[in-house]
Amino acid sequence: MNMAEELGQLKELLPIIAPIMVLQLILMVIALVLCIKSSQTRGPKWVWILVIIFANLIGPIAFMVFGRRNE
Amino acid sequence: MSGLAASERSVRPSSGLSRFAAMFGKELLELVRSLKLIWVPIVFIALGIMQPVTSYYMPVILEKAGNLPDGSVIEIPLPTGAQVMAETLAQFGSLGALVIVLVFMGTVSSERNSGAVSMILVKPVSPASYLVSKWGAMLLLSSLSLLAGYGAAWYYTGFLIEAVAFKAVLSSFLLYELWLLVLLTLTLLLSTALRSAAGAAFAALGAGAVLSLLSNLFPKYAGWLPGALPGFARQAVMGSLEWSSRFGACLVATVMLLAALVLLANILLRRAAAID
Repeated sequence: MNMAEELGQLKELLPIIAPIMVLQLILMVIALVLCIKSSQTRGPKWVWILVIIFANLIGPIAFMVFGRRNE
Repeated sequence: MSGLAASERSVRPSSGLSRFAAMFGKELLELVRSLKLIWVPIVFIALGIMQPVTSYYMPVILEKAGNLPDGSVIEIPLPTGAQVMAETLAQFGSLGALVIVLVFMGTVSSERNSGAVSMILVKPVSPASYLVSKWGAMLLLSSLSLLAGYGAAWYYTGFLIEAVAFKAVLSSFLLYELWLLVLLTLTLLLSTALRSAAGAAFAALGAGAVLSLLSNLFPKYAGWLPGALPGFARQAVMGSLEWSSRFGACLVATVMLLAALVLLANILLRRAAAID
């Protein structure tokens, strides 16, 4: 398969995949803002930031369920 | 004189309904402040979109990622729209149910541990209205999330694969929401009974798993248990759900179970308030 064909396939895929990526981005931003703003997290904060950024979908969920301390 | 008038005003009895409205307002505020009202529906929407997309692109994904020898031809028939919707429901049943139970796992126990429950219950607020306001928040968040996620799945399935009848989707949505409510009401009861939030979550998920296992393994004897609800929802979206005595019994048993769980939580909370 040559390059042009691959690019064409990608272009076709993009409008379908884009909403999922946008949703993941929103989740990531919400989780990052909450993580950075919170005075205390369960476990070191920088680890949570890495988890939120690099574990798609699961990372932000894990932070919001387990990482926050109720104040 | 004016002081007397003020104190008279402050002891004016408020109706039970307005007190309940205040409690429910507090729960809503909590949902908004903790951003749960935003991120839980987003998770459901992402789950709902992924299922139709992966079913549609399965042949491409296998071709790109699988270690298949050159020249092997894969023939995967495109699933029907109803099948994809049923698979989406299965996704909501695993990851979706996990998320929504975990969100509510500490709903009563964390307030008991912090002493907030005793502070609330010394006011003229009955334990029942406290619990029902919690339950209302659960109903609101779970139905909103499931509606958003299932709606997104419906749209994508119609877009990529084929349209699914609205009536089938609506009835399966209602049945599945009822199942999520069973799980959440179990969480409410266990969160009242146990001090540990994680313990409540895993006990609730375990009880849900036992319910669905029983009704799947012994459909003849236990087919009326609420655990059969996901199966009925699946049948509803596939268009094969017919009114049977088992289905009716399942609905009645579910409503009775929900009422019994809230009543039991109420009894436990009355005692707990005295202990705390």
